[in-house]
Amino acid sequence: MTLHHGVSLEATDRRPTVLLVDDDEVNLLMTAAALRDRGFDITSCTGGEEALTRLASWTPDVVVLDAIMPGLDGFETCVALRNMPGFDNVPVLMLTGLDDEASINRAYQVGATDFFVKATQWSLLAGRLRYLLRASRTRQELERSKAKLARAQDLARMGSFDWWQDDNRSFVNGLELSEEGLRVFGYGPDDRVNLRDMLRMIAPTDREPLVRLARQILYQVSVIATDVPMTLPDGRFRIIHVEAEPEFDEHGHCCAYTGIVQDVTDRRIAEDRIRHLANYDALTNLPNRRQLIWRAERALEFGRRLGHQVALLLIDLDRFKVINDTLGHAAGDELLMEVAFRLRGCVRHCEQLFEGVIETAGSRSHRTLEAVGRLGGDEFVALLPEVADEADAQRVATRILEALREPVVVAGQDCFATASVGIALFPRDGNTVADLLRNSDVAMYAVKSQGRNDALVYTPRLAGRGREKLALESALHKAIERDELVLYYQPKVDVANGKMVGVEALMRWRRGDLLIQPADFIPVAEETGLIVPMSEWALRQAAKQARIWADAFGFADSIAVNMPNRMFERTDLIEQISSAVREEGIPHSMIQLEITETGLMKDLQRVIPSLHRLTEIGVQIAVDDFGTGYSSLAYLTSLPIAEVKIDRSFVRDLGVLPQSLAVVTAIIALAKSLDLKVVAEGVENQRQQDVLYGEGCSLMQGFLFSKPMPPEDVQTWMESVALPRKAVAVSSTAKVRANAGEVVDVGRRS
Amino acid sequence: MGDLNNPGIEGTAKPVLDAASMAELRALDPDGKAQLVKRVLATYQTSLAKLVDQLRAARAEGAWEQVGRVAHTLKSSSASIGALGLSALCADIERLIRGGEAAAAEPLIEQFHAEVQRVDAAVGQTLQHLEAAAS
Repeated sequence: MTLHHGVSLEATDRRPTVLLVDDDEVNLLMTAAALRDRGFDITSCTGGEEALTRLASWTPDVVVLDAIMPGLDGFETCVALRNMPGFDNVPVLMLTGLDDEASINRAYQVGATDFFVKATQWSLLAGRLRYLLRASRTRQELERSKAKLARAQDLARMGSFDWWQDDNRSFVNGLELSEEGLRVFGYGPDDRVNLRDMLRMIAPTDREPLVRLARQILYQVSVIATDVPMTLPDGRFRIIHVEAEPEFDEHGHCCAYTGIVQDVTDRRIAEDRIRHLANYDALTNLPNRRQLIWRAERALEFGRRLGHQVALLLIDLDRFKVINDTLGHAAGDELLMEVAFRLRGCVRHCEQLFEGVIETAGSRSHRTLEAVGRLGGDEFVALLPEVADEADAQRVATRILEALREPVVVAGQDCFATASVGIALFPRDGNTVADLLRNSDVAMYAVKSQGRNDALVYTPRLAGRGREKLALESALHKAIERDELVLYYQPKVDVANGKMVGVEALMRWRRGDLLIQPADFIPVAEETGLIVPMSEWALRQAAKQARIWADAFGFADSIAVNMPNRMFERTDLIEQISSAVREEGIPHSMIQLEITETGLMKDLQRVIPSLHRLTEIGVQIAVDDFGTGYSSLAYLTSLPIAEVKIDRSFVRDLGVLPQSLAVVTAIIALAKSLDLKVVAEGVENQRQQDVLYGEGCSLMQGFLFSKPMPPEDVQTWMESVALPRKAVAVSSTAKVRANAGEVVDVGRRS
Repeated sequence: MGDLNNPGIEGTAKPVLDAASMAELRALDPDGKAQLVKRVLATYQTSLAKLVDQLRAARAEGAWEQVGRVAHTLKSSSASIGALGLSALCADIERLIRGGEAAAAEPLIEQFHAEVQRVDAAVGQTLQHLEAAAS
């Protein structure tokens, strides 16, 4: 590929340059004159040596050599010239004698382009030279366009090949690749490659179907267009695109294929990446909703055709929102990634499957659909394309629960990311993916309401829950993030001195214009497990409020927050409280926790360690609704509790039912003997106050003193009612002493 | 043109330099600007003297191959200026020597020398005419 003199040939308006070599000076003079006259630019030399010297620094468009010369003759000069770099394609015309056949043959042997019999027919000579120049130019252009093509092919990592039938009508031996084609496979231009070498670069698993495809193509004489994954001799893995068209002989038989090979690895990687992004969750790299639904639909098709069951497991993490809220989104992401990794290990997760056609040859090919995917948020789905029965699905669910039992270390902390799993089976629980998803969701919610961290198979009974309740649930889910929860506060007062001794925080849900009372949503929150994040929120909110009040009016008492018993079973409760008070710069003692007697007794052994640790760090424990449970008094003596709160039902019936007074009296006596504070709840009238006070209980809470109120009203209440402490205290105690039995409904005014 | 094949016998009757060939030569430089005819004839005369000396020396040494090569060169250049008789003699000598019949070429060489004399004289005469015409 010598481009440099080709460029000079392009300028056709220029006189072509000719080097004329002849020892016969007379002839030289005349030939030169004749050719100049016909538009050539002539340089003359009288011998081969002189000619080669000239050519060392200059390249004419054509060389005319006299064959027979003394010294270096025309043949020797031609050989020498052809060996000079850049002269392999310069046209050389050899001048021979009329009868000199030997010279004519030799002329071609030494690389002359053509010969011309010496004569004085100058026009013929000029015509021959022009023809040589034109041929040379055409050849040059061909060379250049070949070079361009080669370069373009190189850039496109492409090359051409021919594949033909040998005499035995076999395609095994006839394969030839262009230089660029060889380069695609990492071969040099001189390497020879046959079909077997090619096949050896293909993994055995890919080879078999490819050979089958090739046979089919040859049989049908169709166009070849396929991508072949190959491991090249240098070890690189590449995807080679092969595209070829058949060629036919005169009888119309396919005798060969001609086409191109192209390294499409980069393109394929990009395409795969795009497809991957469309079908996989970026965070966990699991199939996303779209891909999952596609797989599930295919799985149902197989199930329908082959008559087997398909299982869909909806997996919802139990505490994800808490982790996200307390440790941040980065930690939440970290947790999701770890959970995804563990879930993947629970099924025969199949990575690479997009929207392509599933090989239908194998009867178990639907197994490749099996996967765990992420629907979004903390919701995952496991798709089991073939299960024998629901026990099969339950086994996988158990494996999943087991896998999530170990704590996940996130942001340096151990987190427990248990899950609730709902199972739905095709065709029993639904005929479409949507039905199965909905019913697995129902089953999953049932798990949540039964305490979470478990798996349930869908039954129609589970779906019996009212729509309204479902709506409430889903709204409650969003209540926290939408900031719809608020805390109201109800003072606890010591009627002995009229002092406020603390407040109890009570949750309200501001849902639109409505202020929803705890009785209307706490049971649902308990059932769904939402009570946990709600309680955690309440803790932080109470700590904040303590800080605000401390700053506003020197509040130094404690805020009691209601805690469900399951909160006490959690290892991070202490940490949560500590971080809440630390953040607000308040002492632990400003937070008090209330646990119901029933809750306390439900799983006493698991709660006790928490109670001890809480007490150690200064967080007091109050037992709420005391008297309603079946407390073992023996236990009570050993429990680290600071306060019991007499259940409002006993207070309400004071003076109505004699048994109530008996219970109240007993509780007060017990508390005193154990050195516990005792608080009467639900005190609504003066008579109740008087009786309680008379029995030795001075700490009270109820409408008689104040309804629960928004935090901003507490200070006003303190100033208007509690600040003239002495006065209130005096009047209050005076009332107790002087007007026992008289109802003064102070609470009603707020 | 059978007479050209045996110039030694009938050559005297013919002009030494063929008029048609000279016309062709002149046609290469029609207006005479390049003084081509003069330069070609001068070149021919110089090379003729040189080549005849070479041929004579080679013949004395019995170097027949060299004799043949000189004859080859003189054959084409003589034809170019229209010295067709000399050209034909050279062609015969070259052919006989290449065919290994050097002895048969001997008498032709005598004729060759005689023809050289005539051609040289004719060329010299033509050159003088050209000089005269130019001055």
